Amino acid sequence: MAEVRLELIEKIEGEAQVRYVYEKEQVDFAEILFLTGRGIEKILEGRDPWDALTITPRVCGICGHAHLIATVRALEECYADLKLSRKARTVRELTLAFELLQNHFKWFYLTILPLLDLEAPMRRVLEPSRILGEMIALLAGQYPHNSYAIPGGITGEITPVDLLGVRQRHRHLQKLFRRGVIDVDLELFVHCDRIEEMLKRAGDLPQAMQRILDRGWERLGRSHDRFIVFGQNDLFAAGKSIGTRLQKHLDLRYLRESAIEGSRARRVLYRGKSYETGPLARAMLLKTPLIREAHRRYGDSLFSRILARVCEIPRLLRYTEALIARIDLSEPAWIDPGPFPENAEGTGIVEAARGSLIHRLRVKEGKIASYRIVTPTQWNLGNGSRENPGIAQSALIGLHREDPAELVFKSFDVCSVCTTK
Amino acid sequence: MRLLWLSALACNGNAHALLNYPRFEEWQEDFEWLYHPLLPSTHTLAEVEEGIDGVEILLVDGTLEEGLVKNRLAYKQLFERYAVEAKYIVTVGTCATFGGIFAQGGEGRSGLHFSGERRHGFFDGFWEKTLSLPGCPVQPEVLAGTLSLLRSEEPLPLDTLHRPKYFYAHTVHDGCTRNEYFEYKIDEHRFGALEGCMFYEHGCQGTFTHGSCNKILWNGVHSKTRAGTPCMGCTEPDFPREGLWHTSKRMGIPARLPLGVPRRAYLSLAGIAKAFHIERLERPMMEDKRG
Repeated sequence: MAEVRLELIEKIEGEAQVRYVYEKEQVDFAEILFLTGRGIEKILEGRDPWDALTITPRVCGICGHAHLIATVRALEECYADLKLSRKARTVRELTLAFELLQNHFKWFYLTILPLLDLEAPMRRVLEPSRILGEMIALLAGQYPHNSYAIPGGITGEITPVDLLGVRQRHRHLQKLFRRGVIDVDLELFVHCDRIEEMLKRAGDLPQAMQRILDRGWERLGRSHDRFIVFGQNDLFAAGKSIGTRLQKHLDLRYLRESAIEGSRARRVLYRGKSYETGPLARAMLLKTPLIREAHRRYGDSLFSRILARVCEIPRLLRYTEALIARIDLSEPAWIDPGPFPENAEGTGIVEAARGSLIHRLRVKEGKIASYRIVTPTQWNLGNGSRENPGIAQSALIGLHREDPAELVFKSFDVCSVCTTK
Repeated sequence: MRLLWLSALACNGNAHALLNYPRFEEWQEDFEWLYHPLLPSTHTLAEVEEGIDGVEILLVDGTLEEGLVKNRLAYKQLFERYAVEAKYIVTVGTCATFGGIFAQGGEGRSGLHFSGERRHGFFDGFWEKTLSLPGCPVQPEVLAGTLSLLRSEEPLPLDTLHRPKYFYAHTVHDGCTRNEYFEYKIDEHRFGALEGCMFYEHGCQGTFTHGSCNKILWNGVHSKTRAGTPCMGCTEPDFPREGLWHTSKRMGIPARLPLGVPRRAYLSLAGIAKAFHIERLERPMMEDKRG
């Protein structure tokens, strides 16, 4: 006899329910339900396009900056001939990367460690989070919820004094990473391809990964082994990957959203298939050595997923260091793009902490006619059918009663508020 | 002191902003989280639904919605159970206070006591023990500071909307580094510059918005207006109004004037200020004079 159990998953930037169907002692089917919705897309309709710069960051308290950058990119695409200085582009990339870093620290310490019964002092998460907030604020005014990225650049001007503050904090952050997460040279770590090498080091990451191995959980949470990345910049590569088979070309016309019964979330498919997005997907596309090795051993499991997420931290630290060095303060912070087009369409794509984020808007007679947001959690958590389950669903199906279902679920780093935009 | 944080339709921005409070760890020693949406707490949300004891301050976050169910219980039912027992109720952020952004996204949505400026009266029995801490998000210093002052039973003067005056008697304009451009009516403003004031063209609401954004700097370092972004008036009941990046005008003069300043007084003052032509404010601030 099948047994149905409804479980509340909390502290995922809101909540979700999972409806498990157990057959004997195993999960036979699972459905993920989001009960609330806020209607941000509807709120934007009829408004001045620039209002979106103020409203969309409020989709999410932890990844709102990614929403701002997606919005500004979508708005900028509406202009036929928009100029953006390299400085403005770089500063935006920088604040976005700082937000990713902050998310990674928070998720690892506040979400993952407690589920592994590991404790770390609160300052290991508070300090880097606070510093990253300060670094964003130095360039963008405040964090969370600023609106400093506007069509044509950024609202203010950056001085060498601001950059000095950013540089000093960056140095501090690197120390905190090595002192807390893993004591290893960043450059070396990015090229490391041996799991044992990582496990040998001191830090909370090796401890967490060792705990997963000790408990025999390293192969749990495997899904369809299909990955997708839409964002492309100097750090991430766009494309999809079926297992390790890469395909660079993607076309947004193949993306389809549909409603999920009993839930306020919408699923999203690419050419009729569900894909995992996020740090594991990005690492697969980039062929990050350590993650490819984890994937070779354990597949698209929670082990690979957690490792991929935390291993983005050193990459992002190196990337942001290079970005800071590249800023040429003599360039303009803003180039007037002229009046906003009366009728236009635009798409903004961003790699947010949890994966690809896509904003699309249509402007008619100077007002927003429609605004659509596709969030990473929709890719990872969208329900499918029994025959063709979604990514997280598939990871949950087959788990035994004693398996850590919550850890499997949270290894995707669910953002409930984004999903219930 | 024991705190219970109950989110309705929220973005979690207030919860995340609080973590940036510079003395968070020391501050937290005086409090116990019965439930917080991010931080380790004494209880799970399911336990909170079943019923827990000892709530002293109830924190309401997010926009309320008729019929909203968090898990099994209606939010209203959950709120009322703990509101009766709590010594204080604090609405955290603009959504919980006035309805905020999300109130525009559906029917039956509001703040705890307000729909915009209007008191709706659904929870009038709790009005006297409620404090309003609007902001999108609320500044961590404002939330942490208010809770600490409540704990030590300091007198906390409130305005008519129950906002603590220590934090909301100032306007966002106070302390802005662009103030001179406002005072002397230099009305040209271009984005991407250190100079200029966003009041005249770009919708800055700093002069009529209650808040400490330029007194208590964000993340301890900066503010939106200092970074050239107009104040969006996010602590006020009418947030977010339409056309946030444009100043609406009446006969060429901004339609909304600084708090408490009559139109006539403003016009006289503006006329005089403009006549001065302060040269220093008409050229780039960082112009190098050596060359």
